[in-house]
Amino acid sequence: MLGDSVKAQEVFHRTLREAALRAAHGELPNEPFWLFRDARWRCLEATKTDLQAEPLEMGEQEITAAAGSQVERLEPRQLAIWISAAPEPQRTALALFYLDEFDYREIADLAELKLSELSGLLALGRRQFQAWLDATLPKRPAI
Amino acid sequence: MKTPELSRRQRALANCAPINEERIRDRSMRAAVFRARSSSEFENQQSFDRALATLVRAIPIPSETAEWFSDEDLISPSKWTWKRMARNPAVLAIGLALIVIAGVLVFQFVGRLNDFPGSTTARKLLTIAGSTRSLLLDPVSTDAGTLSDLFFLKHGLEHYDVPEEFADFRTIGCRVFEDDESQRIAQIWVEEKRMQFFLFPAERNTKTGAALKFPGWRYVHQEGWVGAVTERNGVCFMAALRGREKDLASYIAKPKE
Repeated sequence: MLGDSVKAQEVFHRTLREAALRAAHGELPNEPFWLFRDARWRCLEATKTDLQAEPLEMGEQEITAAAGSQVERLEPRQLAIWISAAPEPQRTALALFYLDEFDYREIADLAELKLSELSGLLALGRRQFQAWLDATLPKRPAI
Repeated sequence: MKTPELSRRQRALANCAPINEERIRDRSMRAAVFRARSSSEFENQQSFDRALATLVRAIPIPSETAEWFSDEDLISPSKWTWKRMARNPAVLAIGLALIVIAGVLVFQFVGRLNDFPGSTTARKLLTIAGSTRSLLLDPVSTDAGTLSDLFFLKHGLEHYDVPEEFADFRTIGCRVFEDDESQRIAQIWVEEKRMQFFLFPAERNTKTGAALKFPGWRYVHQEGWVGAVTERNGVCFMAALRGREKDLASYIAKPKE
């Protein structure tokens, strides 16, 4: 979400501290994903004052069968930075989806999206990432 | 590979298909994935998603943060509760079906508790009582008890006797007919509360042919009618009226057994 481990750690600790305080006062919400919702808002808050990437038209490419091998050549940090640079709510959708811990309804709920919007954002994200992959890591010629 | 035709919703669901198919929790998603699975497009999407998820898992987590998680799952699976389960439409439907089946079985069991030899015929005759018009009967104005001779002399029916509890009632009419099992039934209409009497052969043991006896009076109910039945000499007598058991109980001298 943040593309910066120091910031991420700060948000994580602030979220947990707040949760501990609420728990001590017996004020924990009944809603199951409140902690993640809270963490998300803190992430958005933390990036509000950051330098924002200029909105630019991103290329799109259909996902190819070679995409898997292209991704394998990436550094985890590159992916984290790419996702953190995506506009909201696409960033939240991609971050939660590839965390592979939530189902689509939970992601839609956390990101405050409808199914069609979430679907559109994920599909667009994949195509844009594929285009970025093609530009950054050209496919290896088949032997 | 041929791309299957997916509905708009299925396409949207396929785009959100979980990376790990074990995570599919709802039927609509399962159906969408099942349909989309045969397309190369979806196959590419899945391998792309798997590769990215693997990369995400490789993102280093600072040790101070990692220790918070220890070996626990990031998200604990939702708790199983009775309340939650009861809200599941499938469970609700099965529960309702079981309640209905149990209700029917209890109803039938309770109904059977009151069964006695001849109760099936008695119920059929109550249906006839409900649909009989006085025009169908031969007009006879006498005491019900005296009709035994008429039944014997005119129709050859032995022991078609009206019990003494009802023998003094004045009759409006009577008839003898055969039911769908060719049993000869005597029907008497009396003035008292527009009551009807039926005399019919008692049920018999299929092996020995002996009449199945039962003591005292038994009640049967059918379509708002109630009948009090007794058996004597292989012939059942039933007094029937539209109403409740207590309307007949006062006529029966001996207590119901």
